[in-house]
Amino acid sequence: MSFDLNLILDSLPRMLAGLGVTLQLLLVSGLLGLILAILLLLMRISGKFYLDWVAQVYIYIFRGTPILVQIFIIYYGLPQFEAVRDSIFWHILREPTGCAILALTLNTGAYVSEILRGGVLGVDKGLLEAGSALGMSARQKFIYITTPLATRIALPAYSNDVISLLKSTALASTITITDMTGIARTIVADTYAPYEVFISLAIIYMIFTFGIQKLFGLFERYLGRYARREE
Amino acid sequence: MRLRSIQLMAIGVVAMCSAFNASAETLRVGMECTYAPFNYRTADGELAGYDVDVAKGVAKIIGADFEYVCQEWDGMIPALLANKFDLIIASMSITEKRMEKIDFSGPYRFSTGQIVGSKKTKVNLFDGSGKPIPGNFKGLKVGLERATTYASWFEEKLPEADVLLYDSSESLYLDLQNGRVDLIMTNPMKAYLKFLSKEDGAGFEFKGPVIDEEKYFGVGVGIGLRQGQAELKQRLNGALKQLINSGDLESYARKIFPFKLHKDAWGQ
Amino acid sequence: MLSGWWDDYLWGAVIVAKVFAASLSLMVLFGLIGAAAKLSDNRVAQKIANGYTVVFRGTPEILVILLLYFGSAIALTAIAKLFDPDIRFVDVPPFWAGTIAIALIVGSYATETFRGAFLGVKPGSIEAARALGMSPLQTFIYIRIPEMWRIALPPFGNHMLSLVKDTALISIIGLNETLFVAKQAITVTGKPFTMYIVVGIIYLGFSTLITLSVMGIEKFGNRTTLGAR
Repeated sequence: MSFDLNLILDSLPRMLAGLGVTLQLLLVSGLLGLILAILLLLMRISGKFYLDWVAQVYIYIFRGTPILVQIFIIYYGLPQFEAVRDSIFWHILREPTGCAILALTLNTGAYVSEILRGGVLGVDKGLLEAGSALGMSARQKFIYITTPLATRIALPAYSNDVISLLKSTALASTITITDMTGIARTIVADTYAPYEVFISLAIIYMIFTFGIQKLFGLFERYLGRYARREE
Repeated sequence: MRLRSIQLMAIGVVAMCSAFNASAETLRVGMECTYAPFNYRTADGELAGYDVDVAKGVAKIIGADFEYVCQEWDGMIPALLANKFDLIIASMSITEKRMEKIDFSGPYRFSTGQIVGSKKTKVNLFDGSGKPIPGNFKGLKVGLERATTYASWFEEKLPEADVLLYDSSESLYLDLQNGRVDLIMTNPMKAYLKFLSKEDGAGFEFKGPVIDEEKYFGVGVGIGLRQGQAELKQRLNGALKQLINSGDLESYARKIFPFKLHKDAWGQ
Repeated sequence: MLSGWWDDYLWGAVIVAKVFAASLSLMVLFGLIGAAAKLSDNRVAQKIANGYTVVFRGTPEILVILLLYFGSAIALTAIAKLFDPDIRFVDVPPFWAGTIAIALIVGSYATETFRGAFLGVKPGSIEAARALGMSPLQTFIYIRIPEMWRIALPPFGNHMLSLVKDTALISIIGLNETLFVAKQAITVTGKPFTMYIVVGIIYLGFSTLITLSVMGIEKFGNRTTLGAR
């Protein structure tokens, strides 16, 4: 089979046109997911068993099932019910993008909350004791001690999750969204040339991932700028 | 060096197997498996439908064993070209565009398209002579399955239309029902049987004439195979003609529809 | 309610289990090889292993599966044709294309996990082993491996969960596991919510089994140190 370079040059701009959609999915779901994750985290460390328990069940369900299934349930499954179609949520659920963002947010929220919890648990107890000794309230300790330290600890794992989120956006193509993968599949369906198209697409994603890793690396160094030893 | 002799042994084994298989020929057949009533799976786990019956009939006549492989529609031709299977018996229309890359047997079924939409959409989408009126499609969302003749027709005739591309025809019907799309274009026989004549399809109707332009829908639906297999093609055509002339093909159709799905002239 | 699709779902679940077993073995293999390559002094091996991790951590799973599905046959057939022009095809069925794909992907994460775990083996233990006169092989089997798998276990548990969940993606290339069964069932029953929820429950079951097993193994691994405070 010949490797059609012309095809690659033709399809690259078409696929990159989907970059905007991919980024939109990534950033919106990422941001909303982070907010959801913080909410879940607070529920889990609240000490109140009913909040903790609800959060745990939620996390268990969303981490225990494949994201593709979650996407299908939200997009194809929910409209099965009249009640959903008549509700105010229909405005969001009607759009494939809305469903994708919802599914990605719910999913990443569960994962990130566990990552943040790992960060919180990783904060040295001694530092918190020092805070108490200085007369800080629980709220003050959380804001001034736990949050900065936990963020730094959780950052590497969080960057991994952001990359996972990027890869999950490719699944939005299964519900008609024209992100990069959706456009690629349409091109393959027209030209019957899976390699050239998919390999170029893979390279685009890899470059993206590399970019995200570098960005997080910079952020990590910035956060740790006072903790680094003089070299 | 050791690796090379292992590879040679493996090749040898495969070669011997193909020699043994010469008598009981096995051909792999690709189909969508989610396209009722033409090819789908029943609760018993068996494949059923018009395409499946045609496949079984052809297999018997040419004396081969058919293995069935399920494949998502938009990857059907790439998969055939990549040797995932040897034949496509999945209601694939014989179009010029497809004939550039693959070969087809003669047709075994009509190929037509028709638009389905809600009864509440009062707009006239077609004029008196059966041509679509592009302006009247404005503001309407259209659902189409990727890589289908319907998608090609729409792309050429109504490039300005707001189109959503789906992975399977089932999703088209689901989204038409729940209002995500206002119109879909699909096989009219299937639309009538599985949708419009049922409860779910009560609020929907055909929104235009049956379209059978050969440029987009070809002479009909045929068995797809890779190019350069003249002998196999001959055998398939012979088998299809036999099925037509013996009345078997019609009996397959009548299992599902009150009419036959092919032209008698194809049996010549 | 499922109108006769129960048994199809069951067989789908069996396929998920089979894929899990096969891909788990391959994933451990790829992970160990990758970790060994990265930890070795061989620059070429390190570069290849780095390339492996970059490629498979940076590419969406669905894309890797599609590429391996379409690509494997052509690549292998081309290679086979060099030896014997009469070969019609050398094909990789969806089960193996998918299994190898997800094993490669999760294996690239496992490489990092194993590498970190090997580096986490206490240097003091290695020195003690040497002081006792153990050979490198003995050190490896009796000191490195036992310490290493205990460190790797929590993240490895996550890798196993990823493996099980990625199986759902193989439905895209026609493997008859639970999600594809659901799609076919929807064609006939027209009830997407019900069918997909069943898929979710089945996968949740698998995840639960894995999580419980990992918890059990963790307990077993820490049995000698639990009481010591």
